[in-house]
Amino acid sequence: MKIIYTDVLIIGGGLAGLRVATGVKERGHDAIVLTLVPPKRSHSAAAQGGMQASLANCKMGEGDNEDIHFGDTIRGSDWGADQEVARMFVHCAPKAIRELASWGVPWNRVKKGEHTSIINAQKVGIMEKEEAHGLITARDFGGTKKWRTCYTSDGTGHSMLFAVDNKAQEKKVEIHERLEAISLIHEDGRCYGAVARNLMNGELVAYVSKATTIATGGYGRIYSVSTNAVICQGMGQAIALETGIATLGNMEAIQFHPTAIVPVGILTTEGCRGDGGLLLDKDGYRFMPDYEPEKKELASRDVVSRRMTEHIRKGKGVQSRYGDHLWLDITILGREHIEKNLREVKEICENFLGIDPAVDWIPVRPTQHYSMGGIRTTHRGESQTLKGLYSCGEAACWDMHGFNRLGGNSVSETVVSGMLVSEYISDFCDSKESSVHITSSKIETFLQKEKDKLEALLTKENGEDAYILRRAMEKIMMEKVGIFRNGDDLQKAVDELEELLKRSKNIEVFRSKSRAANPALVNAYRTQKMIKLALTVALGALLREESRGAHSREDFPARDDENWLKRTITSWPDKNQTLPSVDYEEIPIGNMELPPGFRGYGKDLTIHHPKTAARVSMVEAISKKLEADGASRDEIQNALMPFLDKLPKKYRGKNERLGDNS
Amino acid sequence: MKREKIDKIPARLDLIQSSTGLILALFIMGHILFEASILISHEMMYKVTIMFEGYYFFGETYPGIVSFLAAAVFSIFILHAGIAMRKFPASYKQYRTIKDHALSMKHEDSSLWIIQVVTGFVMFFTGSVHLYIMMTQASNIGPYASSSRVVEELMGPLYLVLLVSVVLHAFIGLYRLALKWGFMEGKSTKVSRKRFKYLMKIMIVFYLALGTLSLAKYTYIGLSHDFSDGLRYQSPDIKMETH
Amino acid sequence: MKKENANRVLKISILRFDPNNPKDFPHMQTFEVLEAEGMTLFIALNDIREHQDNSLMFDFVCRAGICGSCSMLVNGRPTLACRTLTSKLERHITLAPLPLFQLIGDLSINTGKWMRGLNGRLETWIHDKEAEFSFDKLEQKMEPELANEIYELDRCIECGCCVAGCGTIQMRPNFVGAVGLNKIARYHLDPRDKREDKDYYELVGDEEGVFGCMTLLGCEDVCPKNLPLQSKIAYLRRMMIKTSMKD
Repeated sequence: MKIIYTDVLIIGGGLAGLRVATGVKERGHDAIVLTLVPPKRSHSAAAQGGMQASLANCKMGEGDNEDIHFGDTIRGSDWGADQEVARMFVHCAPKAIRELASWGVPWNRVKKGEHTSIINAQKVGIMEKEEAHGLITARDFGGTKKWRTCYTSDGTGHSMLFAVDNKAQEKKVEIHERLEAISLIHEDGRCYGAVARNLMNGELVAYVSKATTIATGGYGRIYSVSTNAVICQGMGQAIALETGIATLGNMEAIQFHPTAIVPVGILTTEGCRGDGGLLLDKDGYRFMPDYEPEKKELASRDVVSRRMTEHIRKGKGVQSRYGDHLWLDITILGREHIEKNLREVKEICENFLGIDPAVDWIPVRPTQHYSMGGIRTTHRGESQTLKGLYSCGEAACWDMHGFNRLGGNSVSETVVSGMLVSEYISDFCDSKESSVHITSSKIETFLQKEKDKLEALLTKENGEDAYILRRAMEKIMMEKVGIFRNGDDLQKAVDELEELLKRSKNIEVFRSKSRAANPALVNAYRTQKMIKLALTVALGALLREESRGAHSREDFPARDDENWLKRTITSWPDKNQTLPSVDYEEIPIGNMELPPGFRGYGKDLTIHHPKTAARVSMVEAISKKLEADGASRDEIQNALMPFLDKLPKKYRGKNERLGDNS
Repeated sequence: MKREKIDKIPARLDLIQSSTGLILALFIMGHILFEASILISHEMMYKVTIMFEGYYFFGETYPGIVSFLAAAVFSIFILHAGIAMRKFPASYKQYRTIKDHALSMKHEDSSLWIIQVVTGFVMFFTGSVHLYIMMTQASNIGPYASSSRVVEELMGPLYLVLLVSVVLHAFIGLYRLALKWGFMEGKSTKVSRKRFKYLMKIMIVFYLALGTLSLAKYTYIGLSHDFSDGLRYQSPDIKMETH
Repeated sequence: MKKENANRVLKISILRFDPNNPKDFPHMQTFEVLEAEGMTLFIALNDIREHQDNSLMFDFVCRAGICGSCSMLVNGRPTLACRTLTSKLERHITLAPLPLFQLIGDLSINTGKWMRGLNGRLETWIHDKEAEFSFDKLEQKMEPELANEIYELDRCIECGCCVAGCGTIQMRPNFVGAVGLNKIARYHLDPRDKREDKDYYELVGDEEGVFGCMTLLGCEDVCPKNLPLQSKIAYLRRMMIKTSMKD
């Protein structure tokens, strides 16, 4: 049996994983990255629109700072986020983007002088400052008060991923491609690495490490239509769940992106609307202002997706053989803008729809896009319950997005969390606690267990077809755990998924019996794991009897802080369970910098927590007093919710801005 | 970052290959045009011949000049062939690979390159023979002398093969040169490349037609002329002593 | 989409071979698939795997033409399968893996390893020994047009189509190919990379580099991202000649 030892094992070679690897390597620890695909093919590459960082360089971003980014993020999360984590994030986003600039990302830059933009369907002249010329510019995105989303045309994720992967290669990070972690090795509440399967030749390898990081992205592929890459199947969350010790947070928090093309579900970036694109119904009527007079098309993603669904339900959708859809109109941006700043969108329209978006409207509808939930960790990225297991990026729930993520905060999170978590991991590896105490015979037990499972799948007779189970699961998730949810459907979903789970124990790999590269075998074991994840989502959604962010219950339309200002924590302690165990973790109001309030969309139905009012007045009192004393915004912030001491020392500095609007 | 001296040879070789190719292609464009003077008249062809022998500069003809020119071209030819040879497929396997590749991809530019390889190969021999004869028998050029060579000395078939090879090789080469160095690339290489390719095709057709017609004319003269008076053409206007 | 195509039965012939199976040998296998509206090769191949032969190997990741995983020979020409609509092809479609790359099985190839080797050889990252980076300071300025130009070349997705489309590299596998030359052009353009012309000359100033290119332009013709390969290789060639003339 093959055992490979390293300091830090990183599962997942997207932006988050590569940034962690680079970070620990710089701190002098060995790092091995396991990836399903070559790192540059990770789903991070598909992030088109941009990365949020409050640089405040462009005219429409003037006056932006960490406070405003923080407020947008918390409101966007519908107060589900961990405010300290969000603070750490907004503080480090400018640092991350500047680091990426030095690593070679060709961020679009501010050009001095006047340029025209489309704002609210009007051409508007914007005058850029002389002194900002050549600094990183930004575009508008949904749910943000300022233009804060930095970009490279609409290939932002691609450019970031290439820069970070190149950096990792420069730093000699070891990349083991086409190796899939299929279970975690752990003992006595401590994680020691993973058992991985080589997808090219079927070999099983044990990777033993001081620290193990899961950065495998989201689990969108439990839905039949998703903007996610086909590898976003949540295998990282699943192997964590299968330890029985690590927990998952807020799995029911699933984001639907408003503008994926019909029918294939490929994303067209929020940048389309950020740059001035409009949503139209079957009559060519712009309906968003009727629902959201203030933010219109640029309301938060969850809001726009719900409004679109409502509008379709009113019979205003365009009928097609693939169901109803609406139109995204970017023709008003002009061909030049589209060919320069939205060229991926253009290519996608040409290749998958056969249309020219400079002339034609794009058929779109809300589609599964992002997983706010994931492996529950502390602000240090470490599992709350399984020591030595870390997670970051979309795979994790540390939890900066709460129940809805803002556009542009995802790629930003990947690099920021990668920067931070690599430091925490390095600290851990430097400490005595990190020493590895596991016998090789124990490791071999883990290997053998996986080998047996695979053998069972290949040798079973008269079993179930994994494809049939998987399609059934995807259908249940689409139909019953979608944008609008209700108790009856969710109960059915849980029951049906539980049934699928039982059947999935009896999966047989038909015909294709190779022990080496074998897509049928891969599909079989992944399907088993995906059904478990689907259950955590459906059950979490069923139990959460309120509407918060992207989780929208028709039977409980109000956000209920009194009963539900808490995180759903899911685990699977006994492998014979057919449903996950669900627990809750309070989100304490007492130390919130921004106490729960009204998000500003639709009618305010919020049922407030009894402690909210007290915290609101306390925050007001402290702020007023300090303002009167002439305190700076940083001092006020620090008085309300100190966070700097949680950051690694090198990231505590104040971010410089033009004219220093601190 | 190393600080040793860079090896300049690869750059030199590339530049020499391209520039010798360019010179030879321009030469051939002129050569075929001049030679086609026979299509106008015997007299015209004669005048062109003596022009190259320096008659209009010195008042008398020196075939040595042509010998010298032929030797110069021959040298460039050898240089070009020697350097370009390194691009040839080095084995049958490589040849097979590129041929299958071009065919299965149905890729015109790759196929054009194979044509260049084949024509280049053909010219190793045909070109050498022709150039050697021109070098050694420079005085035997003229309406009758040349026709005699085509017919009596059985050079016709060789010239035909050489003509096709050289025209294809030269114009494909010029097309490739333009693309290779970004000559008149313009805003869109798609547009400029299309134009260059079109031009290349026109030139190939034109020069093949012109060359073939000239060759036909020499053949005709060769067959119909009575060579018993010798090979020399007597101009009605220009009288001179031979050297 | 044309109506008459809606109900075609596609015949998809795939070059199959499992190198892990000692009894297997390369052979063509033909599948019939009922064409649907908007069907891409991504949909067709998954359909075959799910309903006809679950051992069929191929690679898709983003399935949106962004990640470069699914390059293969479609009727002999390298292209991204995910964004190839079947309606644009004849009824009989031939699929084969890209040549030159290590074959994992059927249509699945190891482009990752090849590209990583190339990136290591050309050191495709920013070289700046004197850089003093501060996490807190304003970023270095860059001309907006220059940033756009760099991005234009940064768009390469390492799909390998240009490699498979290049006759030169088929004959001489050590040639860096358009993907490598484009990367050099990209870093040469980038003022953040402090490498000098001579450094680049050492990387690609030979016959495995820019002087190996015979301008067959297969790369330019098959690049799914329409990168300006012809133009950039010509530019590099001129630049390398200039460099060789100095000192």
